[in-house]
Amino acid sequence: MPFKKNIHDVRRSPLEISEKELSSLTSDMIDAHEGTKSVSREAVANWQEVSGVATQALSSEFSRRRLLAFGGLAAVGVAVAGVEMHTPGIAAAASSKSAPIDVRVAALAASLENLAVYTYSAGLKAATAGKLGTVPPAVATFATTAMAQHADHADVWNSTLKSAGYAKVTKPDPKELVTVNNAFAKVTTIAGLAELALLLEGVAAATYLEGLSVVTSSAAKATAASIQPVEMQHVAILRFVLGEYPVPSAFASTAMSRPLSDNPYL
Amino acid sequence: MTRNQPDRSQRALLEESTDLHRDAMRQTNVVLDELVERHDDQHSVDPDEAADHAAALRASITERDEATSSSSMLASAGVAGAMAAGLVALSASAASAGTPTDIQILQTQASLENLAVATYGVALTLPFIGGSSAIPVVKAFVTQTKTQHLEHAQTFNAALRRLKGKPQNNPDPVLLKVVNAAKPKLTTPSAVVALALELENGAAATYVKYVATLKDPASKSLTASIMGVEAQHVAILLAVQALIGAGDASMITLPPPLASLPSVAGSVGFPQPFFSIAQARPATEGAVN
Repeated sequence: MPFKKNIHDVRRSPLEISEKELSSLTSDMIDAHEGTKSVSREAVANWQEVSGVATQALSSEFSRRRLLAFGGLAAVGVAVAGVEMHTPGIAAAASSKSAPIDVRVAALAASLENLAVYTYSAGLKAATAGKLGTVPPAVATFATTAMAQHADHADVWNSTLKSAGYAKVTKPDPKELVTVNNAFAKVTTIAGLAELALLLEGVAAATYLEGLSVVTSSAAKATAASIQPVEMQHVAILRFVLGEYPVPSAFASTAMSRPLSDNPYL
Repeated sequence: MTRNQPDRSQRALLEESTDLHRDAMRQTNVVLDELVERHDDQHSVDPDEAADHAAALRASITERDEATSSSSMLASAGVAGAMAAGLVALSASAASAGTPTDIQILQTQASLENLAVATYGVALTLPFIGGSSAIPVVKAFVTQTKTQHLEHAQTFNAALRRLKGKPQNNPDPVLLKVVNAAKPKLTTPSAVVALALELENGAAATYVKYVATLKDPASKSLTASIMGVEAQHVAILLAVQALIGAGDASMITLPPPLASLPSVAGSVGFPQPFFSIAQARPATEGAVN
């Protein structure tokens, strides 16, 4: 695409950002991030309130038909850097029914958030090491801020898992991790990193949109509803960075949603 | 912007986009037809009215298609496909009377969309937004965003008809006063962006707040599919506002001058990890009396 070429051209006339500057930026972001903690704590409190509901919201309210639809929609292939994302299919999704639906969605969401944190962290490390060429300040700020927000999202989902008596999901989904690692190994430019981030953000937004239609507790709905728009905002800014029209669709899509079977922990 | 004379690769992209768009249009028309047939079969609304609605939707898509074709910057595959996705939720479930609360929420949501359409329409009459002195990307964004809000209003009203509620074709009465009070002060791009932000934040927050309240699954899915798009409008408006405020309006281009963008441009579009509902409108504010 011609847009991408321009981004690569931009990279050749760089505004260098040093490791020290990146560290300082990160520190600033941490300070700024603290300002949003009250929102996060409120969300956690809401989740603690719902933990009892979550454990009672058994999958009886989650029809097999809807579960199949969830897995079926998720079976759409997603490719980045020539690597197809894992698509386990309907049967695999339907077989994972050991925990209440809200808990399983929370675990899946946490694993996706962890994957995003992992990817942005790896990207920032690669950038700091000079492996991606020069890093525009706006891109560094984006990655640092988005990473912090994904960590907040993971915290909220893990709070509800813990409150409901389940183990926290502190690692990325191992299946998707392999895919991302394979894709990341081929990333040599900031534009390539942005493409990978765009995929992950799109997957997260689609999964939340799908999740909203299956979770049963009001708190789970409220949490997913408060996060999905933020992932969509990440998508819009990434598209802008990549030189693409930032809001191309009037309606968000569930096409890239991940299936519940992606979560290996429950 | 140097896109008046597209090169070979751009033309190829446009052709590919047009092909994909044509395919998506086909899909959209199928969904629209199903929607009309379903209405017809169930006699939930006047079939002529449903057909008119479908025709209006098609017209809006055609209008957008023409706008897309006329500007390579807006060329984007799958736009109509997403439109279809939003309507699938409506056509996939049988019509039945909605709860009073659902109907009030949908009417309020339609009223917010109607106000956004009207406000962006006014903005486009201003020379620095829709005229010769406009920033091209801002003009294109306002044009496209107005069309998206029109589609949102039409689908909310389609949902209302399906639930046997009255469509809402008027703007939110409370925010309308805000817009009317702001009109004389819309003398700069910053003022327009600030007003648009208020409307977009209000819409997004309203949908985030009430999506869990809606009982009708199709209406819930529809609202959920729109709230993130309004949040994206917020993100881009915040970035534009920051760049204009910093005197960097020349950087509002596609692609942007990435190396030169100020650091804040990377994060200003998503100020909080959880979308705030502080600006949500009351559920009954735009209800039809």
